[in-house]
Amino acid sequence: MYKAIRSESFAAWAFMAPGLLFLAVFTFWPIIYGIPLSLTDYSVITETHFVGLDNFTRAFQDHNFLISLWNSLVYVLVVPVIQIISILMAILVNSRISGLKMFRAAYYIPVVTSMVAVALIWSWLLGNNGVVNYLLLKVGILSEQVSWLSTSSTALYVLMFITMWKGLGYYMMLYLAGLQNIPADLYEAARVDGAGPLRLIVHVTLPLLRPHILFCTVISVMGAVRVFDEVYILTKGGPGTSTLTSSVYIFQKGLEQFNFGYASALGLIVSVMIAALSVLVFRLNRKGGVNTY
Amino acid sequence: MKKGLRHLIIYVLLILLALFMMGPFLWLLSVSLMPGRNVFANPPAILPTFIAFDNYVQVWEFMDFPRYIINTVVITLLGVVFNIFLSCLTAYPLATFRFKGRNLVFTLLISTMIIPSATAMIVHYLTIQAFHLGNTFLGVVLPAAVSVFNIFLMRQTFLGIPTDIRDSGKMDGASEFRIFVQLVMPLVKPGVAVIGLLEVMAFWNNFLWPIVVLDDPQKYPLAAALTYLNGQFSYNFGWIAAGTMISVLPIIIVFLFTQKYYMEGIAGAIKG
Repeated sequence: MYKAIRSESFAAWAFMAPGLLFLAVFTFWPIIYGIPLSLTDYSVITETHFVGLDNFTRAFQDHNFLISLWNSLVYVLVVPVIQIISILMAILVNSRISGLKMFRAAYYIPVVTSMVAVALIWSWLLGNNGVVNYLLLKVGILSEQVSWLSTSSTALYVLMFITMWKGLGYYMMLYLAGLQNIPADLYEAARVDGAGPLRLIVHVTLPLLRPHILFCTVISVMGAVRVFDEVYILTKGGPGTSTLTSSVYIFQKGLEQFNFGYASALGLIVSVMIAALSVLVFRLNRKGGVNTY
Repeated sequence: MKKGLRHLIIYVLLILLALFMMGPFLWLLSVSLMPGRNVFANPPAILPTFIAFDNYVQVWEFMDFPRYIINTVVITLLGVVFNIFLSCLTAYPLATFRFKGRNLVFTLLISTMIIPSATAMIVHYLTIQAFHLGNTFLGVVLPAAVSVFNIFLMRQTFLGIPTDIRDSGKMDGASEFRIFVQLVMPLVKPGVAVIGLLEVMAFWNNFLWPIVVLDDPQKYPLAAALTYLNGQFSYNFGWIAAGTMISVLPIIIVFLFTQKYYMEGIAGAIKG
């Protein structure tokens, strides 16, 4: 028996070796190597020195970094909006009528297209003479054109909107899977007790979706703090620092200005922030169990 | 009667939502078919006055699309093969074997989600340079050769395989590897299809990392080439719209033909 377990364990590690090797180099190494790197002034141009915690003290005095942290936190506000709308969408596409597959696919198409294409389309739609301004002026919501992406007060919210638009279909599918696991007799029982559609949602659907809500919230919080592509393509953090999110700032410091040491320190700070936010989300949902697998 | 009204409301909501989600794509299609530059008109042209494929012809002649498509296909194929191979091998023992350290591996895998992609990218850049893989397709593919998400997904699939299969293989004296390849793998084809599709989409749409790794724009995949086109011809909407359509259509077609597996797979990843 003992021997059997030992040979099984050998086989297990042999199977996992190639995958773990890749994960070690490209997933764990960046986390581990980021720590010593963050204690140096490593850059391509100059000689490397050990600088202790200088990068960290510098980070907390770096006005732009603090702004980028704040913007990343503001970005997290997109999470509850996405969750609420995608749950409603899932409920809608879970109704028993024909043609729903077509609608589900239509809602999912933004998810599968590249962020480059999505960003291009929205940058035109949102341009000064773009369709959005035209429609809003026509309906009378706006009285003059707004340059959505180049106005400091709107740019960040517009990016959040685009993130939401692209992600809705993804979360809708996850919630739909959850809805389809809810036994129909639960609804029947509640209906017999005289519950209307709203009470069905609040007292049957939402409690049973709890694990899904927790999972979706955690991954979208992580996604919101790490948001990069849409910001980088559309505004590069501008105008000014109004859309400078932490990932964009780290990228600028690291791969544009080659301050690898400093950028690693910033990355570590943001990682700690993401971990703390995830713990917070878990705490808020203490009752639900997460099943990522 | 009441049921009919309810259905009517649902359909109205579904159609409004479809306009919101698909509208921008339909408008892009419309712009790409507008001749000349009438998209600059004020009020903005929403529907073309007449349909022409000039933009497609011109942008196809201007940009070396076949080359970018080949680049994209090569990168995507490499990425998909690596991912299927590595995530199946890694997930299988996690689902079926009993061994020390299983929970440790699991915890390590989950903890990788907290690192910001920008930070990982910096170290990846240094690693790829150290391996002398800068400016190669392999350098583009390797950092994403296996993903924790795919491992979870395959583990979920392997958990659904009855244990008898492995036992019967053992009775016949087959090695673990042979059991895996000949008995288990044929049963998880749907799971493999799902991670394959996920990675086709991820690699097809990837733009930033290829730009970082590849010095030579001739090696760019489509999405990266598109940002280049946009930088060069920001005034020629029609061309960029046509170029964007060309880059987006293949992936949408792949999705439409495989959506059944794809959506089930995504949903299966978090079965509660």
